[in-house]
Amino acid sequence: MTYLFDPGNWEWLFTGNNARYILEGFLINLEIALIAMVFALIVGLLLALARLARNPVLSFVAGTWVDVFRNLPLIFLILYLALALPISWRDAWEENVPSWAPEAFESGFVFAALIGLVLYNSAVLAEIMRAGILSLPRGQREAALALGLSYRQSMRHVILPQGLRRMVPATVSQLITLNKDTTLVSIIAITEVMRRGRIVTSSNFFATVEAPVLHVFVFIGVLFVIVNYTLSRLSRRLEVGQREKTGARMEEVKGLEDQLLVAEAR
Amino acid sequence: MPDLFSFLGDHFDAFASGFWVTVRLVVFSFGVAMVVGTLVAALRVAPVEWLQRLGAVYVETFRNVPLLVLLFISFAGLRRAGVDINAWVAGIGSLGLYTGAYVAEVLRSGVFSVGKGQIEASLSLGLSYRKTLRHIVLPQAFRTVVSPLGSLTIAMIKNSAIIGVSLLALPDLLKEARIVSSQTFKTDESFFWAAVGYLLLTGAATLMIRVLERRYAIRR
Repeated sequence: MTYLFDPGNWEWLFTGNNARYILEGFLINLEIALIAMVFALIVGLLLALARLARNPVLSFVAGTWVDVFRNLPLIFLILYLALALPISWRDAWEENVPSWAPEAFESGFVFAALIGLVLYNSAVLAEIMRAGILSLPRGQREAALALGLSYRQSMRHVILPQGLRRMVPATVSQLITLNKDTTLVSIIAITEVMRRGRIVTSSNFFATVEAPVLHVFVFIGVLFVIVNYTLSRLSRRLEVGQREKTGARMEEVKGLEDQLLVAEAR
Repeated sequence: MPDLFSFLGDHFDAFASGFWVTVRLVVFSFGVAMVVGTLVAALRVAPVEWLQRLGAVYVETFRNVPLLVLLFISFAGLRRAGVDINAWVAGIGSLGLYTGAYVAEVLRSGVFSVGKGQIEASLSLGLSYRKTLRHIVLPQAFRTVVSPLGSLTIAMIKNSAIIGVSLLALPDLLKEARIVSSQTFKTDESFFWAAVGYLLLTGAATLMIRVLERRYAIRR
């Protein structure tokens, strides 16, 4: 404990550019998480719709796809894609990265990382969305069809608006998980916060003050706790607000790790 | 296809030992997570306010911090600080403490899911507090907790892969697959078999949970 709180061991934080360097790395993590989340939401919705489709082949294929990518470790996907994506794709990414993107995005591996994150998270989100849609009372769809709406119209105007609203809290908790998972891309040599932490701790960097590993990573951990805790408060508020708006107690749909199970969907 | 199987035959020992390491990591971490989770859940339902706070701080900290950060702190961090910590202890400890926060939340919500009226009814029937807990609260709490604990187990199987790629470099399934792939330059084949290994584990866990659910779980 004295080792952890000894001010001498925290001096590195106020030395040179250390704090800024790590904070900038942390921003890269948040950016990766946001980009991956946007694409995962789009792909996830498509997967959920495909799995719910009336065409049995489409539904089976989408179901298998979702179950496979949801049950593989994310780090496995990222590592595999980093090793196996054709080099020409990586080159194409490196050439086409917009100049305003942060420096870390210039590495071709970012492409592999993003694909991995989207593959995994879209599968998880697809399951959350499907649960949200299935949790609607059957009468909703029947009423829509009875009113003469087509399958498409009933999806678009009746089912999705209600079903997707139910999954907002679950999506925020998945965003928290995704946020934590962005640290995994450090494994494939993208200089986000974890890599930067290691660079700061390697002794001959800004050599004047030694930065102990423990303290650097406790600092990084605190950054994550602050951001994710804020997000989870936000999600809880959304949940409560929604319950007040709809008046009824909803069935809850939770994120993968928080999951008080998507079992209703099974 | 025959290539795939002869590849597995050639490197079966590596994959099998990696698979076994992963299984051990998951089983021990599950034990740690259950113990820690029960203790923290007990703190969170304790009648003393500062104990509740302490439990809440634990949950919010370990739930919001990336597992990789915990692994760095517990292994590289403590080693540099002069604590001679073993890679297994660091890995199982990190994964266990991390998952423990989720377990605590699940157990807490399980206890609260038992209606207050049930407890009052049982006390007014003359059952003691302990008997109420044993015969009324816990059996019902256990039933609501089966499914979420199952999904935590699956999450833990997947998270265990992070241990092998971090600084600890325990030779788990993913690590072994990487070693085989760097020796043979056959990335697709080695990662294919690692995927099969992980899907076997998560699939087996899913089946087990389904059986338990069918026997015990109650829908609310």
